[in-house]
Amino acid sequence: MSIGDEPARLAGLRDRGRQALASAAMPGPKDEDWKYVDIDFVLDDFRPAPEPSGDLGRDEYLEALGEVSGGLTMVDGAVVDVEAGEIEIHRPVEVPDGRAAGLYGTMVSPEVDVFAAAHHAMAPPGAVVTIPAGRTLGAPVVVDIQAVTAGAVSFPHLTVVGGPDSEASVVVLYRSAPGADLLVSPIVETLVGRGARLSVSVVQNLSDPARMVAHHQFVTGRDSTLRIAEVGLGGLYARQRLGISLAGLGSSVQMGGIYFGDGSQVLDYRIYVTHQGPRTTSDIFLKGAVADDARAVWTGLMRIEKGAVGTSAFETNRNLVLSDGAKVNSVPNLEILTDDLQCGHGSSSGPLDEQQLYYLMSRGLPRNPAERLLVRGFFNEILSGFTVPELAAPSRRAVAAKFAGAQQRAAS
Amino acid sequence: MSRTALRVRDLQASIGGLAILKGVDLEVPFGEVHAIMGPNGSGKSTLCHVLAGKPGYEVSGAVAVDGVSIVDLDVHERARAGLFQALQYPVSIPGLDLAVLLEEAAVSLGVGPEEARERIATQARRLGMERFLGRSVNGDLSGGEKKRSEVFQLAVLEPRVMVLDEIDSGLDIDSVREVAGAVEEMRSDEVAVLMITHYSRILNYIRPDRVHIMMDGAIVDSGGPEIADELEDGGYSAVRSRLGIAAPKAPSKTATVSDFFTDTPFDL
Repeated sequence: MSIGDEPARLAGLRDRGRQALASAAMPGPKDEDWKYVDIDFVLDDFRPAPEPSGDLGRDEYLEALGEVSGGLTMVDGAVVDVEAGEIEIHRPVEVPDGRAAGLYGTMVSPEVDVFAAAHHAMAPPGAVVTIPAGRTLGAPVVVDIQAVTAGAVSFPHLTVVGGPDSEASVVVLYRSAPGADLLVSPIVETLVGRGARLSVSVVQNLSDPARMVAHHQFVTGRDSTLRIAEVGLGGLYARQRLGISLAGLGSSVQMGGIYFGDGSQVLDYRIYVTHQGPRTTSDIFLKGAVADDARAVWTGLMRIEKGAVGTSAFETNRNLVLSDGAKVNSVPNLEILTDDLQCGHGSSSGPLDEQQLYYLMSRGLPRNPAERLLVRGFFNEILSGFTVPELAAPSRRAVAAKFAGAQQRAAS
Repeated sequence: MSRTALRVRDLQASIGGLAILKGVDLEVPFGEVHAIMGPNGSGKSTLCHVLAGKPGYEVSGAVAVDGVSIVDLDVHERARAGLFQALQYPVSIPGLDLAVLLEEAAVSLGVGPEEARERIATQARRLGMERFLGRSVNGDLSGGEKKRSEVFQLAVLEPRVMVLDEIDSGLDIDSVREVAGAVEEMRSDEVAVLMITHYSRILNYIRPDRVHIMMDGAIVDSGGPEIADELEDGGYSAVRSRLGIAAPKAPSKTATVSDFFTDTPFDL
């Protein structure tokens, strides 16, 4: 479909995107939201992605997932394959009337940053995935987001709606062509309907030279339960700006994630949790490790609004710094506008525990395998709790391979 | 007398300039169980750590396992030479299952994966450890369970020299009996056991061939199990007066942070 045919509402969003883009500048470390990183590229380094051609085939994660309840594939931002299965998948212009019809493109504002602006100005039509009300899915829905064209920027757009009282798991898999220097700037917006139980797992498995600036936004309805799983593996620079609005009374989010950076990777997580509804609950727990000269940034801002009485909000970020050249910035933050709440945050970054290493080595394990076992144990706490357990094994293998590579480089 | 499993000659060790071992001599033949007893602060745990190769100590002297010097070896290489230690304060490792650790350790010691799994299953059954295999290493274990887990791990890894550091400390009498029974079962002509303890209680269950008394960083007396009985009756002061050793004076130098740590249960 050509962009020119868009109905008024989508065209309006597009205009807003163009206007925002015209006045937006590349962010710098002075921008609060971009502190601790130094962006060494500009949007204009990448040309708009052409019509999609070819795809990346299966990968380890897709193999591990096996049977799915439905899903779709996007290549360079364009929807190339749809398998509705037990769910509904619509183009943005085709969404039937109802509460979710006007949702597409509205949850991340074009004014957030230059990448969001460019996304709204240039993204081809994405997809709206709806879990029908009351439906319980056995197998996960898989959204395979691929970037394949070297030198191109792509803008995948995905809207997920968990219908009222539905229960489902959605896996969003980001990957890119091996060796391709490219930029992917997706928006994934998710509405968890009243009483719905939705799990969203994001696997970022881009290849080495890829860059990503992602905006992920979640809104929870009354009495809904959201589970988020994160796996961050690839990319030269991979950023996720993740917003969670606990809007509905009694809704909750639990997030568990891991990331592992090696080489000169920069993994950048900005997490914003906003408690709006009364008696809302959040529990955010990310564990990361950096080796070689890699860098990880985690900032977590929990904002408890005035009406969010009876809230419980917890966030934790733990990091292993596995080499002298690696670095972590881990900054939790609270903004509390109510006085009836329970909350807490914790953050730590440091090397592997020497006592634990000594213990493992006293059982006959050389230092490197002992270190790998400790790293495995460190991440296992998160991986063993994944709502889509099939994602754990390939993640474990990927982390082990990355760390073994870093150990080899350190030894030579 | 049979072949010497563990030979220690003039072993000295200090940490942060503070001498802890001041010349330890010891010989444990294969097939024998030796106990080292001594008051708090005499250097018993340091001896275990130094034998196992724990980093952080300045060490001199000779240590050999079955005639092969291990004093310059790294921690894991000493294990490969056959020397394994059961720690007094086993550290917990969240997220790492006991079975995974043991399989990896056995495989890295040259045992085939199949045989490793079989050994783990057999010993777990024998020592009632099955329900701990899928749990993280030393996570949420009682004191007694931790000690049992240590002995279980050694049973799987089949040491030639077992160094047991206070394997009975903090245990109730039933647990002592259990742990001691497991050690007794591992006794063979191919294994030497060096058992560190400061209570003679466990020696009712593991009868040692020799008992050594350690004071102020050195072995001051050695003999048969009757020495333990003397300790039971008269305490270390009886041993001191028999040997003409003065009671310990207050330390001449001001206590340092490292002094504190050598005696703390945090086992830094």
